[in-house]
Amino acid sequence: MFSKRDLEGYLEIDHRESPGFTSEEANAAGLRRVATDVGKGTRAQIPVVNCSHCQMHIIMNPLRTRDRAYCPKCDRYICDRCEMVRVASGGLCKPFTQVVDEFMEAAAKGMLKHGA
Amino acid sequence: MARRISAQTTFTPTAVADTTAFTAGQAMGFWKGGSGTQLTRFWEISISGQAASSSSPTFMLFSRDSTVGTGTQSQQTGGTDTALDPATAALAAVVGVGSNWATTFPQRDTANHLANCSLNAFGGVYFWRANRAEECFLMLGNTASNGECSLSAFTGGTPGAIGGHTIYETQ
Repeated sequence: MFSKRDLEGYLEIDHRESPGFTSEEANAAGLRRVATDVGKGTRAQIPVVNCSHCQMHIIMNPLRTRDRAYCPKCDRYICDRCEMVRVASGGLCKPFTQVVDEFMEAAAKGMLKHGA
Repeated sequence: MARRISAQTTFTPTAVADTTAFTAGQAMGFWKGGSGTQLTRFWEISISGQAASSSSPTFMLFSRDSTVGTGTQSQQTGGTDTALDPATAALAAVVGVGSNWATTFPQRDTANHLANCSLNAFGGVYFWRANRAEECFLMLGNTASNGECSLSAFTGGTPGAIGGHTIYETQ
């Protein structure tokens, strides 16, 4: 049986022998959601998936209290930015695999705008 | 399909803002599709801190580029790119790998940061590996913004010396 957890990759930030990030630095780095895990003397081992729509990394923060953004049409997790687009558009789903398919089809038909 | 590993022994990145042209030796690496329809998957990114003496928050980003590099692409000192399997046949169109460009340097895309690879270069380690092919980052063609990726330092922090590698696979 398929589980979306089967897709999870592995992310490690090891600061056991390092000053790590202060919370200000973690904020600046865009890691504020896992700031407590990447400070001095710590090691974070985090599951991570890619947004189905834009491919950006989604860190599966266990402390998240909001719902994880999810696209029921492609049955994958998506990032918060793509979720905003999906909701605003009434449910638009364009996974990156579709972008690839359309690109390859256009290339096969000689319709690429910027081919090399 | 052929998996290759591009590595950088050691270098100190320079923090560069989005949509700002890089210059020589500032980024850890650029990968550009070898043809207009080439598809490459990125399987792994590893960065190890090498700063010797003081805290060095280094905000590395793996990102798509909104302006792709042009001219001959070359490695900086300590940069390598080789097949994981020595029996790998050469690709008809080789993925461009290297930090330097002869004509135009790339610019990182504002809207297409794919992974935040930040670490403290004073003793820190960053490592990511995809679990499945569909979870790899894809590089498609060789034009902006899907046809080139970069691993470089974003503004802020105090970038320190790092080394690392990236594993990618071209179809």
